[in-house]
Amino acid sequence: MKAVGASLPRYDGIAHVTARTRYVDDVRVPDMLWAKALRSPVASARILRLDTTRASRMPGVHAVVTHRDVPKNVVGHQEVWGIDPDEPLLASDEVRFEGQTIAVVAAETEPQAQAAVDAIELAYEERPAFTDVRRAFDAGQPQVTPTGNVYFYYPDQPQRQIRKGDIDAAFAAADVIVEGTYRSQGIEQLPMEPAVAMAIPEPDGRLTIHSATQAMYYSMDITARHLCLPMGRLKFVGGTVGGGFGGKLDTQVEPIAALLAMQAQRPVKWRLTREEEMLCSSTRAYCHVEIADAMTKDGWILGRRTLSLHDAGAYMRTSAYSCSKHTFHLAGAYTIPACAFNTFVVMTNRVPSAAMRGFGVTEASFAVETHMNRVAEVLGVDPWEIRLKNANRVGDSSPSRVVYGNPSTVSTLLAAADAADERLSGEYASMTNHARGGELLPAHLVEQQSEPRTHPLAWRDARPAFEGGK
Amino acid sequence: MRLTVNGRMHEIESGPLASLLHVLREELNLTGAKAGCQFGSCATCTVLVDGRPRRACLTLMAAIEGAQVTTVEGLGVPGDLSPVQQAFDEHYAAQCGFCTSGMMLAATALLHDADGPLEREQVVEALEGHYCRCTGYVKIIEAVLAASRGETGERAPHQLDIRVAGE
Amino acid sequence: MALRRGRGIATIEYPTGMNQGGDPSQAWIKIKPDGRIDVFSGTVDLGQGSKTVHTQIAADMIGVPYEWVTMNNADTDSSPVSFGTFASRGTFIDGNAIAVAAYRAKQRLLEVASRMMEVDAEDLDIGGGEVSVTGAPERKLSVEEVASTAAWSYGEMLVGSGAWMFPHVEPDKETGECEPHAAISYASCVVDVEVDDETGEVRILRILQAYDVGRAINPVLVEGQIQGGAIMGLGLAVLEESFPFYPSLEHRGAQLGTYVAPGMRDLPEMVNVVIEDPDPVGPYGAKAIGEMANNGQGPATAAAIHDAVGVWVTEMPARPDRVLRALEEPREPRRDGRRVIFDEHLSTATVSSREPGPDGWLFPLVGE
Repeated sequence: MKAVGASLPRYDGIAHVTARTRYVDDVRVPDMLWAKALRSPVASARILRLDTTRASRMPGVHAVVTHRDVPKNVVGHQEVWGIDPDEPLLASDEVRFEGQTIAVVAAETEPQAQAAVDAIELAYEERPAFTDVRRAFDAGQPQVTPTGNVYFYYPDQPQRQIRKGDIDAAFAAADVIVEGTYRSQGIEQLPMEPAVAMAIPEPDGRLTIHSATQAMYYSMDITARHLCLPMGRLKFVGGTVGGGFGGKLDTQVEPIAALLAMQAQRPVKWRLTREEEMLCSSTRAYCHVEIADAMTKDGWILGRRTLSLHDAGAYMRTSAYSCSKHTFHLAGAYTIPACAFNTFVVMTNRVPSAAMRGFGVTEASFAVETHMNRVAEVLGVDPWEIRLKNANRVGDSSPSRVVYGNPSTVSTLLAAADAADERLSGEYASMTNHARGGELLPAHLVEQQSEPRTHPLAWRDARPAFEGGK
Repeated sequence: MRLTVNGRMHEIESGPLASLLHVLREELNLTGAKAGCQFGSCATCTVLVDGRPRRACLTLMAAIEGAQVTTVEGLGVPGDLSPVQQAFDEHYAAQCGFCTSGMMLAATALLHDADGPLEREQVVEALEGHYCRCTGYVKIIEAVLAASRGETGERAPHQLDIRVAGE
Repeated sequence: MALRRGRGIATIEYPTGMNQGGDPSQAWIKIKPDGRIDVFSGTVDLGQGSKTVHTQIAADMIGVPYEWVTMNNADTDSSPVSFGTFASRGTFIDGNAIAVAAYRAKQRLLEVASRMMEVDAEDLDIGGGEVSVTGAPERKLSVEEVASTAAWSYGEMLVGSGAWMFPHVEPDKETGECEPHAAISYASCVVDVEVDDETGEVRILRILQAYDVGRAINPVLVEGQIQGGAIMGLGLAVLEESFPFYPSLEHRGAQLGTYVAPGMRDLPEMVNVVIEDPDPVGPYGAKAIGEMANNGQGPATAAAIHDAVGVWVTEMPARPDRVLRALEEPREPRRDGRRVIFDEHLSTATVSSREPGPDGWLFPLVGE
């Protein structure tokens, strides 16, 4: 019997239903300490004074870490792709979002750790906060970073952009131009398991870190860089997580638990409360998208202009990545010959936004698909039909000029229509993903057509073993 | 203070204001009840106290001295699963598994009180305070209904309409 | 004073793997002396079921029963690199790495069997835990015998390792041209709602979806992703937000209850269709499903609300007060020649203090 294609039992099924599955919070080691954090009470402030002397002398306290204890405090999540690091592991001279971590204490019990946190002396000077992405370029707004509120992908170009075809000609030729604004809110990833890490100093000088990260080597790399240690000195234990959805990628809990463990020379567990999860750890980005579509009166999309403003929050983390991804999907499932897309990463005094199921594309899909329904209504065209005629087909090209080899938009539309008992008219009901021709190839799409090339990356290091099923 | 957990009596060292969740997890090393929110909102800490589902994070020791507590560890073990555990496994009702203990204990109490097979609305009413972020709840409800009908022993098939392209 | 019903649709697409590539995955496999398979993978299982799917791939690639395979992903001392479980890359990229490793482990088994049976490795197949001669299936050896002979008689170790990556690409600065992903999945979504035009509450009655996932390696786990994603999409569409009065920073929900997330009672009827249109590069033709599962419901719900009560709520979630405000203050789009302009009150042009530039764009597109 073949395993692939079979609904086999979950590998961890029995473990889950008998609670044998061990999450990080279930790991038990002797002499473990609990960690608690001091967090910024305001959205933007200069730190004037941070004194942990009293805290470190309190009952049960074995370690206190501030920015001074971090070998390399500023490490970027996407340095390898040229995005400069900007976020301190622990705040030093300023805080840029409410809830930003300033200091962390490790003590024998949680109440003792919290009492020590409350005894940390913090003096700050609050500043006005910048919070509305639509004012990203306005003069006179509070500046979140030393270089302003907008990230520059290139020294002379802030936006990630797509330019394809002749956008001005498309808009000049349009019968109708439909414009709208679409806003999707930031939301919580809300895994049932809150973020947690436990760091254990080992007799051989290594550190074992039990982590709920979604990416072990990624988090280990960031931890190693903060600690200025080679990876060989760390051992990340994990691989079993109580839900992630993108919220357990940004790596902060592990390096801080490690620093506390090294200072105390005892195991330290830092488990975020649900409140910390909700208020202080990353969210999906709020995204503001403005679309203008150049349409023919019978429902062809000639061209599309977009402006997207992504609320990255106070620090970059992976927002530059997300906005590139977002931009590539602003044509949605359709073939649009003329595209002018502009996506800006805007910094605000908000919790940094991060990966969340769909990262960037969820926001694009909400905008372009709601807009498509609106366009259909303005033109008086059926929403199924407008999609079917514009849908990607074999040989069509994407905004970034990828030639589609086998797009399934038409087949999923027809399958959904069939299952939903929607009666489509004859010519639409028999549409396929095949290359355009005849009435489905109007003049403005002729230049789109190309031969899809064989994927150049079919199998690295092995022959294509799946052909023929062997 | 004394507490009977899964049929075994324990002398509890934690004070009267300690939460049952803390006692179970930190003192007795029974980690099946989870610390999802510590606020009574998520129900991942649910255990049975004298047969009734309670939020262990909100239950103070002083309120339950002498009570009989059932945790997920008391439901069954690999090779000897309770009907609810078996149904959850056969219906793929656990994905990350974090909410599973609480769901199963609440379902166990529901089945114990029920007079035969349950209606869907009864399951929802009993379990709607339990959050799950992974499954979308569908297979959890199906598992509880199946357990209430005594329908265990076979893996539940999926209900997808799978169409192979080109056929 | 009425409950009104409506239907809306959306069609979406979603890439597999990290945007612009550069996210490698590795795996290594060893075969025990009794033929049992140990897979070492850096993939993190968040509940989506990667441990299950990957053992299925390894079992079929080598040709042994699923029960013979153990999955080890617990720590970085033994597990090789997986970039991570995100970007919908687990089945495709991690799965491909495991498939390559399994293919190579299989070749090692075939080498040893070839020596034992004095038949060319090319003329041997492995299936169901047995190595047999192609076309002469009665000539066979069990995988146990082969593995045992390798370990104890030949003194050889049977290992396969593999990696897979879609190489990193940089888009053109001006045009954005590049090929950013290894594969794309597609889906369409139909949402039926009931809107109370007195309270503004939107109840999603049914979510009907069709997904092309290339190949469903484990259909019931695919169903689990679709169901979980649909409810997350429902949350996006009508319930959840971190900053309820954007751009204000206030009134954030700090707990379940003040932050409204989908509960069991919100569960609508669901109908799910899966199309298998194999991808040429994915393992056994599979593509991704994990993230796109929550992308279609939001826009389909916005359209359904319009179908029900005639107003466009273009902010997600469509909270009752947003629906009511749209009903009570209906805004017609501004018409200016060929232009039909919606939502002006929300646009940057209205809120920002800047004037549009000569190119018509509000923001400076420096370097154009």
